[in-house]
Amino acid sequence: MLAFIVRRIITTIPVMAFVALFVFSLLYIAPGDPAAVIAGDQASPADVERIRQSLGLDRPYLVRFGEWFFRVLQGDLGTSIFTSLPVTQLIAQRIEPTLSLMVLTLILAVSIAVPLGVIAAWKAGTWVDRAVVGFAVFGFSVPVFVIGYLLAYVFALKLDWVPVQGYTPIAQGIWPWFKNLILPSITLGTVYIALIARITRATMLEVLQQDYVRTAQAKGVSNRDVLFLHSLKNAAVPVVTIIGIGVALLIGGAVVTESVFAIPGLGRLTLDAILRRDYPVIQGVVLIFSFVYVLVNLAVDLIYTLVDPRIRY
Amino acid sequence: MTAPAAPLPLADEIGAAAKPPRRSYLRKHPSVAIGGFLLLLMIFIAVFAPLLFTVDPTAIATSRRTRVPSELYWFGTDMLGRDIYSRVVYGARVSLIVGFSVAILSSVIGLAIGLFSGFVRWADGIVMRVIDGMMSIPPILLAIALMALTRGSVGNVILAITVAEIPRVARLVRSVVLSLREQPYVEAAISNGARVPRIIIKHILPNTIAPMTVQATYICASAMIIEAILSFIGAGVPPATPSWGNIMAEGRALWQVRPHIVFFPALFLSITVLAVNLLGDGLRDSLDPRLAKSI
Repeated sequence: MLAFIVRRIITTIPVMAFVALFVFSLLYIAPGDPAAVIAGDQASPADVERIRQSLGLDRPYLVRFGEWFFRVLQGDLGTSIFTSLPVTQLIAQRIEPTLSLMVLTLILAVSIAVPLGVIAAWKAGTWVDRAVVGFAVFGFSVPVFVIGYLLAYVFALKLDWVPVQGYTPIAQGIWPWFKNLILPSITLGTVYIALIARITRATMLEVLQQDYVRTAQAKGVSNRDVLFLHSLKNAAVPVVTIIGIGVALLIGGAVVTESVFAIPGLGRLTLDAILRRDYPVIQGVVLIFSFVYVLVNLAVDLIYTLVDPRIRY
Repeated sequence: MTAPAAPLPLADEIGAAAKPPRRSYLRKHPSVAIGGFLLLLMIFIAVFAPLLFTVDPTAIATSRRTRVPSELYWFGTDMLGRDIYSRVVYGARVSLIVGFSVAILSSVIGLAIGLFSGFVRWADGIVMRVIDGMMSIPPILLAIALMALTRGSVGNVILAITVAEIPRVARLVRSVVLSLREQPYVEAAISNGARVPRIIIKHILPNTIAPMTVQATYICASAMIIEAILSFIGAGVPPATPSWGNIMAEGRALWQVRPHIVFFPALFLSITVLAVNLLGDGLRDSLDPRLAKSI
């Protein structure tokens, strides 16, 4: 088991290295000369050249990548061109709302989507099944900002149940935090719920035809136990996989959701960075998000061995 | 005496079975019919935009700003007084061009990479590590990062989304190639001395068409959404170009008092993406019945 975990962690290293190389190249080929920006308008070409040398910008690509990568490993993501603050500090300031949004969405989506998929498979062919399948197609087709504005219009503007926009830190109480995040979470979660429910239903349909399910029913196990203990456990691998892969949807959707609901998170940071062409910030955010995504899928692989003891690498 | 009459109806039956009328296909797969119809409608709107009672979608008139929908301005006007109906109708062009171009480009490039990786075994490891790396960056983020490097234009949006979508096609094609290589008829062709190009054209390509067509429709839908998201957050097509994402971005500041600015482009975008997804689901059901049963 330990050997497997170590081996699996080692296989993520080339993937992370590629992501790092890609993200570094992004800044490398980005238009604009950092040395000229730092030197200012009045600088002579000789001054710019001196700054370029002192920053090491005249050295070869791979040498610069190596140095940059070494700094990243030490937790240094560079300095924002626009605010002159360290990128890590900017990200640290904005990470709580984004993390809150994504974790709440994940919990909400999984606890809604999995039962939905199980029930649809159990009642296959009935109106319940058709409603779930219909919802899945709908969830895939309506873009995240459309759902966001629709929900905000009905539940915040017209019914006035929750605030329209903004974010309350969790330190100021769970309830205000939750009230602010519930609409964004449903918004962000819709496509995720559609994806998980669809895969859960498909996998469960297969599992429910197995002999051991019939045996369990024959010996009088209750429907609930057959579905959620015997069957769901055997359907778990594809479901857990899609939960992991779907995190990519959450990350992309978070940028938009934060913009619709004016949540001051990493998405907003990205948006502002794009408008100002603040490359080190863009680089840092892409790197952090990709790192999280790789880690989530690493965790998914490790969960496999827990839900299915047959899996041995 | 009865013998000569017998073959006639039989021949009729064979004829009927071999050539089913077109209508029955659409009736059997209603999602292809509905999706196809809605998509054709959108294509019609995009192609004939100037003839559909539109005015210049970029004409600014400060005297008629943020009007609500009326007989004169069907979908109202935005904060610069531009006619939203005209902008939404012209916006269909951007969405469809981006969706179709990305679907075609990423399919062709992904097919080439997948075939290469599936046949040239020594390169497979390297190519797949690069693909893994690209897939570990969420597609929207990858597209945002690429757009940050260039100016916003329709061409650049297409390129950025294509790069983000290629890994999915390449992986699909590679998996088809790897499973087909094990098939007896491919092994037979190899042992008969058939060359790689012939095996690809005769045996591999025909088998990739069905899964790739289905994949291409999903990529088309995904590309339309990503384009709208890019434009919405200001990293897509230039603001002057009427695109659904841009119109929504302009309506963002005013959406609480003038929700119609956001509403109409959102409606058109949702219908178009729904149409493409329905078409994809229907094609999957009819082209790949085994897969259809499971999903």
